[in-house]
Amino acid sequence: MTRSTISINPTKTDHHVAKLTALAIALHVLEAVFPSPLPGVKPGVANIITLFVLIRYGFGTAAWVSLLRVFASSLLLGNFLSPTFVLSLSGALLSLATLWLAQYLPKRYFSVISLSVLAAFAHTLGQLCIVRIWLIPHAGVSYLIPIFALAALIFGLINGIICARLLSK
Amino acid sequence: MRPLFLFFSAWLLISCSAKEPLYNTQTYVFGTLVDISIYGETDERAQAVSNAIIQEYQHLHQRLHAWKPSELSAVNQAFTQGEAITVKADIAQMLSDVTRLSTQSNGTFNPAIGQLIKLWGFQNDTFTPHQVDAKAIDSLISKNPRMTDLVIKGNQIHSVNSAVQLDLGGYAKGYALDLGLAYLKQQHIQHALINIGGNIIALGQHGNQAWRVGIQHPRQPNAIATVALASGWAIGTSGDYQRYFYLDGKRYCHIIDPKTGYPVQGMQSVTVLIPPKKQAGVLSDVASKPIFIAPANERLAQAKAMDVPHFLIITSNTDIQVSEAMQQKLTWLDHKAEKIAKVVRFE
Amino acid sequence: MNKLKSQALIGDIFIIVTSAIAVVFLFKTLWSNVPASQLLIRQADQIIGTYDLEQTRELHIHGPLGESHISIEQGKVRFKQSPCNHQYCVHQGWLNRVGQVAICLPNQISLQLIGEKKPYDSLNY
Repeated sequence: MTRSTISINPTKTDHHVAKLTALAIALHVLEAVFPSPLPGVKPGVANIITLFVLIRYGFGTAAWVSLLRVFASSLLLGNFLSPTFVLSLSGALLSLATLWLAQYLPKRYFSVISLSVLAAFAHTLGQLCIVRIWLIPHAGVSYLIPIFALAALIFGLINGIICARLLSK
Repeated sequence: MRPLFLFFSAWLLISCSAKEPLYNTQTYVFGTLVDISIYGETDERAQAVSNAIIQEYQHLHQRLHAWKPSELSAVNQAFTQGEAITVKADIAQMLSDVTRLSTQSNGTFNPAIGQLIKLWGFQNDTFTPHQVDAKAIDSLISKNPRMTDLVIKGNQIHSVNSAVQLDLGGYAKGYALDLGLAYLKQQHIQHALINIGGNIIALGQHGNQAWRVGIQHPRQPNAIATVALASGWAIGTSGDYQRYFYLDGKRYCHIIDPKTGYPVQGMQSVTVLIPPKKQAGVLSDVASKPIFIAPANERLAQAKAMDVPHFLIITSNTDIQVSEAMQQKLTWLDHKAEKIAKVVRFE
Repeated sequence: MNKLKSQALIGDIFIIVTSAIAVVFLFKTLWSNVPASQLLIRQADQIIGTYDLEQTRELHIHGPLGESHISIEQGKVRFKQSPCNHQYCVHQGWLNRVGQVAICLPNQISLQLIGEKKPYDSLNY
């Protein structure tokens, strides 16, 4: 009987991406543990990592990092397949879809700040859709939409600026 | 998401808990809803005053009933028989008042067409859709019943036209507003709002703000706009949505054009705002009618004749006219309507 | 601030401004008509009660003509059935915003939607 060994030779990039993913998971978990001043509104700092990876390593890698972060964090927090997880996932998916489109924006005019704001709006939209369809199926939610939209704009902007500064280093 | 809703409900509770000195009562008189709000009085006193007003209204309603035995139907009976009748002083005063307003509108506001209203079936609590005999309408129109057919000498009244049958449906609610306002003042109530079937008069204000009134959208269950009703101001609307029936897909509303004998078509609502003056309540009830009934090219002239610079005319979903003075008073809630609304100059 | 300027490009400014306008628009449209939280039902001059709108519930209220059937459904309410002749109240349809009113004059029943703050004191109709 021959022993079969699967050998993986991780590249430097792989190491780097893995570290970034770990950081994203840490940020995600940290944000989930700290209470937010306005419930339901979160800065979404883990998205900075997604954006960073998108610019440095391309869309495919960013998608992996983002989805891995959502799944791993939910396993760590023990809310896998719970409403919180579905909200996170729907936000991440819609924001990835938006980023996939947004990466074709001319780089001359649109920096990572644009991507961040657009992704933040998409993230909020994805979550609101789930809330409206699945969790609270009545019109009462519409009252909260402006608050979430404002939060998306502010945090999208801040995260974008942070990411831009990280990228320039 | 749950903590989020807990947070909001807690916030709601906190903002609701401070009770303000506002008393509100609703009851049904004049075949419609009477809603009285009194601010800044104890509940006991506010209740006593409202009850007195409501009692007065019930009494007035019985006296002015157009199709049940009442002082007014006795007058109508005398007219049919060509006899003179002696009425109480306040009714004689009302009738000369109505005649003056009818003349002011060039006969467009015409409470002498009780027979037409009856023919159309609106003089009934449970009117039914039915085709009206065109010949009967023509014959009534040819008899031309007008308020000026009345001869009022002191408290004695007769009509030179036996076709005159009075129906004060377009006047009584406004009269009752003025009556209620006078009673409130007499009782030294500072702040109150009376709403009789949509016609509203204000006294004082609601706390440190003016009373705020919503104007009903003629086709939707929302307010189209709001208006701050300062002390003494009154507001009234004539609409095709208040009493109507459908026959063969056509809407027949309760407001009848005295010139044709048919319900007014192609009009949804006319709202007028009346500044503080003698009989502001009466005007809020009466003044919208001639504008509602008049053909499109005569509406502004009617507004002028009735001396109402504040009006809002809604003919359809795509046609809204608002006078400049009214536009300044309105806070639009329906932004679609706001866009459509054409501001008309009126001097 | 200078750093920010050097980082933000013309397209970024465009996206930020457009988003800000969208947010303002959302506030204006969704907050001008506040969804109601409570329903007040009156029959004649009696307050029958206030009801939470966030529930699904059928109510039967007695008036002079008989029983009016009112249904509350997760944030909205309507007259479902009424013994009155013209059914104006039923045709009013669903109500869900603060200040909305449906009145059944023949059966003397009124529905009024209330929230944390009334947009107006009374309705001209």
